[in-house]
Amino acid sequence: MWRYFKWGFWIVLILTVGGILHYTLPQRDIVRITGTYNRLTTVGENSFFYATPDAGTGESTVTRDIRFIEAVRPNGRVIVYRNEDTGWVWPPYFKYDSSNLQAEASNLKSTADAPVWVAVTHYGWRIAWMSIYPNAVRLRVVDGPDTSLFPWVNIVILTALAFLLFMVRRMWLQFRERMIDPALEDMSDALTRADARADAARASARTSWGRFRAWLGGLFRR
Amino acid sequence: MIAILTSAVMGFLILTVIYLLVSVYSRSVRREKLEKQFDGGDMPGDRDAFVEKGMQAYQHSLRRWLILLVYVIPITAVAVTVYLVNYN
Repeated sequence: MWRYFKWGFWIVLILTVGGILHYTLPQRDIVRITGTYNRLTTVGENSFFYATPDAGTGESTVTRDIRFIEAVRPNGRVIVYRNEDTGWVWPPYFKYDSSNLQAEASNLKSTADAPVWVAVTHYGWRIAWMSIYPNAVRLRVVDGPDTSLFPWVNIVILTALAFLLFMVRRMWLQFRERMIDPALEDMSDALTRADARADAARASARTSWGRFRAWLGGLFRR
Repeated sequence: MIAILTSAVMGFLILTVIYLLVSVYSRSVRREKLEKQFDGGDMPGDRDAFVEKGMQAYQHSLRRWLILLVYVIPITAVAVTVYLVNYN
């Protein structure tokens, strides 16, 4: 039964970490931008998926103007991004030029007849029933809807994370080998000696009362 | 403004903790290597004295300075990110 618990624990852990990484790491979509606007939005229960007011301003965190970028994918389906400054802490994009990005997006609007394809770097998920939007971070014009994009940033970040995990494991093993194992050995040596003394005392006792006293003494001997 | 300073201070504290952990780990590994080196071959003299001399040499070695990269690399990564995200 405990095996199932262990499996369950590891599966939940991997899904959680995978979900966090998928949300936070940058992804790129190739889209055609159709419109930009901003809308006064009050974030409610979904505030966890929204960022902070623009860096340096004193806007309210709850009700503020949020910029949006509307776009359409090559397969015809639409996507809406928000365009907010990230905080200085998390996610670690240090983005504070959202107004400039909005201006760039407005500049790249195009129609279906004369499309301008743009690679939008973003993080986050579009979940309509929670009204959360991915946060656009960068825009770059590309040649066409089939341009292939190599995810080198993600590879660098994941490699760094794997290296960190490996180093943490090495440090823990070293600590265990040098500090904990010798201490445990000393402890188990001391217990073995105490047991031997108790056995010797029991063997040399001649009556049942004497044996009982020897056993009791063995419990309290150091 | 305050937010930037707060994050910078927090980041510096976290990096300091990581630097201390890596320093301790590196010393521990060096000490173990010296002990194994003494136990392996026929070395003259006292074991403790040999290990202590080796640790003194480690104190002035290049490896100790390399651990300062723990500060350099994350700060560089942040600077590169800020440039790439904001100054296209």
